[in-house]
Amino acid sequence: MNLFIKAIKDGIIKGIKTAFMLLKIVLPVYAVVVLIKYSPIMPFLQNLFSPAMKFFHLPGNGVVPLITGMFTDEYSTIAVMSTFNFTTAEITTIAMFVLVAHSMPVEAAIAQKIGLSAVKFSIFRIFSAIGVGILMGWIGGLIL
Amino acid sequence: MSASAGFIIHEIFFGCISTMLNMLKILIPLMIIVEILMVYNVMEKVADRMQFIAGLLGMKKQSIFPLLVGVVMGVTYGAGTLIQINRQTPIPKKDFALIGIFMFLCHGVIETAFIFGVAGANIIAITVGRLFIATVVTAIAARLPIIKKMEQE
Repeated sequence: MNLFIKAIKDGIIKGIKTAFMLLKIVLPVYAVVVLIKYSPIMPFLQNLFSPAMKFFHLPGNGVVPLITGMFTDEYSTIAVMSTFNFTTAEITTIAMFVLVAHSMPVEAAIAQKIGLSAVKFSIFRIFSAIGVGILMGWIGGLIL
Repeated sequence: MSASAGFIIHEIFFGCISTMLNMLKILIPLMIIVEILMVYNVMEKVADRMQFIAGLLGMKKQSIFPLLVGVVMGVTYGAGTLIQINRQTPIPKKDFALIGIFMFLCHGVIETAFIFGVAGANIIAITVGRLFIATVVTAIAARLPIIKKMEQE
């Protein structure tokens, strides 16, 4: 029983610590993304990538959470995603893409640490993410 | 700019507060679950029952535990466990590559189900879908000549 209480106590402390560690990263990203959203950069990115978003059955601004997610993490993706209005099917597609390819810089470093090639794994993840995104966009359109 | 400065500051301020509250709401229960799983060695017991998967994924039996930790809790935990287990019972290079493939395609399933569920994604699709894709890709990779060759090294 002591172990159980200790686990709950440690869990609360770790949860708060992790939240604040992540917030230091997420909040600036959130602010920058809101600014980008209302700046001329956004239409430019949209025009550049929105044709590609069709493969994923996403609207043109779906590219913003995808790119943010690849460089940062799932939490920033969600912060970014909540600034737009996506449908359940679109959110699920974005989630699948980002969950396969996210935090690339950090996780490539972890891959290197366990003795795998960071470059090979990054390329592998990007191609997998594109494949999964296309698949999910197609299935999501059918069932969700 | 297509909106006024006041409007943008307003959106940043309230967006940040709601993001902060959402993260605390998710991370505290999540970390409690992770701690309980750790304290009662739940992961080890589950890994013992999942040995049949080792054959399907072309791995040694001891590779299942670090894989399971990575998939359930996250890449950082998985990598840490992998390094630790490798010290006790050496894991072949081939299994490192296979664990990498599976783990980088699909990891932290509890955490991501929580946070993307709150964000409005279909939890079953993102959890079961990812597990299925990662299993298929890893099972195929284990049978490719490039990966098989690593066994002899």
